[in-house]
Amino acid sequence: MVLALCWTSVVPTGSVSAQQAYQVELDAERVVRFTSRAAIEEFDGVTNRIDGFVAINTATLTAETGGDDTEFFFEVDLASIDTGIGLRNRHMQKNYLEVEDYPYAAFGGRIARAAPLSNGVFRVTVQGTLGIHGVERERSVTCDLSPIGDGYRVQCAFQVLLTDHEIEVPKVMFLKLNNEIQLELDFRIEPAEDTK
Amino acid sequence: MKSHILSALLAAMLLVGASGTVGAQQRPERFQRREQQTEAEMAVFHSPQAANLPTAETLKKGEWLFEISHRFFPPVSDGADALWGFDGPVTNRLGLAYAASDRVMLGVLRSNRSDNVELNVRARLFEGGSEAVPVMIGLMGGLAWNTQAPTGAGADENESQQYAQLMFNALLGDRLALGLVPSLLRNPTIVDASSETVFALGMHAQLYVSEMVSFLSEWIISEDRGTDQRHDSGSFGIEFETGGHFFKVMLTNQQLMNPTQFLGGTDAEFTPDEWRIGFNITRLLAF
Repeated sequence: MVLALCWTSVVPTGSVSAQQAYQVELDAERVVRFTSRAAIEEFDGVTNRIDGFVAINTATLTAETGGDDTEFFFEVDLASIDTGIGLRNRHMQKNYLEVEDYPYAAFGGRIARAAPLSNGVFRVTVQGTLGIHGVERERSVTCDLSPIGDGYRVQCAFQVLLTDHEIEVPKVMFLKLNNEIQLELDFRIEPAEDTK
Repeated sequence: MKSHILSALLAAMLLVGASGTVGAQQRPERFQRREQQTEAEMAVFHSPQAANLPTAETLKKGEWLFEISHRFFPPVSDGADALWGFDGPVTNRLGLAYAASDRVMLGVLRSNRSDNVELNVRARLFEGGSEAVPVMIGLMGGLAWNTQAPTGAGADENESQQYAQLMFNALLGDRLALGLVPSLLRNPTIVDASSETVFALGMHAQLYVSEMVSFLSEWIISEDRGTDQRHDSGSFGIEFETGGHFFKVMLTNQQLMNPTQFLGGTDAEFTPDEWRIGFNITRLLAF
């Protein structure tokens, strides 16, 4: 099924090309949350500092293919992550994420496909390079995009293995982390300024 | 010929290294950062206290710090008969502090020696310096009452004591933290009738050898006022840090722990014969 019609409904008319760019809406609520479930304790870290863009080629995006000319890039400011305990934040930033050398986590690539769900929601699969702690991995991630205003609410959930990014798994008390970290993202994208 | 083999080996090692760790991801040209990068939090000393002296470090707003500390009376030199001091008795101190903001902490301390009860406030005034030498400056002050003085008199028959301290902290080479703590103490001797204000200079250093382990030392220069305040106070030991706990074990010639008590000096000389074992345990609580 070709989704062009659905996407076109939110694209301003008169565009020269079919590509529409969206950017993270900084004024809306943004949540990036990681959760670690270790044997004794579970804790999470939260930040709102995510920014990035997605460029969609509305003419060729389908449930089977992302089509041509699509691109996305998002990054998260790691020194802003708050685990609720100041000392733990500092340990995490300095000894594990090493934010002075690797201040951002970034994910960039292209859209693989976009399948329509009910109520105008799309399940979008993206493929790209996830860079954390200076180590990059090819990843495929699925996000739900719900229309809101002239943009979308983006919700994603996926897992990251610390060892995949050469992050030492902390073993000291009070910072017991599972190697498998759950990541949840929830933010809005709006038409990019240059295409508004 | 050997140099060629060496070059080839080096090149191979570089290639292996490069394939193991890929460089930081490139940002696409069309992405422009719109928000300023968050600065990583700086630290000089990790803990809010050395053996006895305060550091300029403060907790995050809303966090609590609970402390229990002991100094064992018998010196280590008493040997196995006194279990190297662990048989006790002990000077005990309990403490609770609350971070009213990211920069201000309010605390209460209670020591069983003279039943000294103290209310204090600490502020982190400045952090900066260079990347190579981060610097932090703090201010601390407190008011203490000896509710059961050595003479047996209660707080109403004693003068209260006050103190104020500046904490100058600097970090060298990312591992060696240094502290200078000039201090003013009002009424160092509670058993005499006169009031006086004295100066003491605290110095301390801490070498962080790993994420968990550091070695600490401390020296407090105080005026010789005779009897039980004749000598300077020295301490040295090891600290274990676990993100929420600080556990310090030390040897010291100072058996007192509350600031209005230890700033006055100690009766024991800093010689191995007089060293006592002590520990401080603090636990960070966040609700």
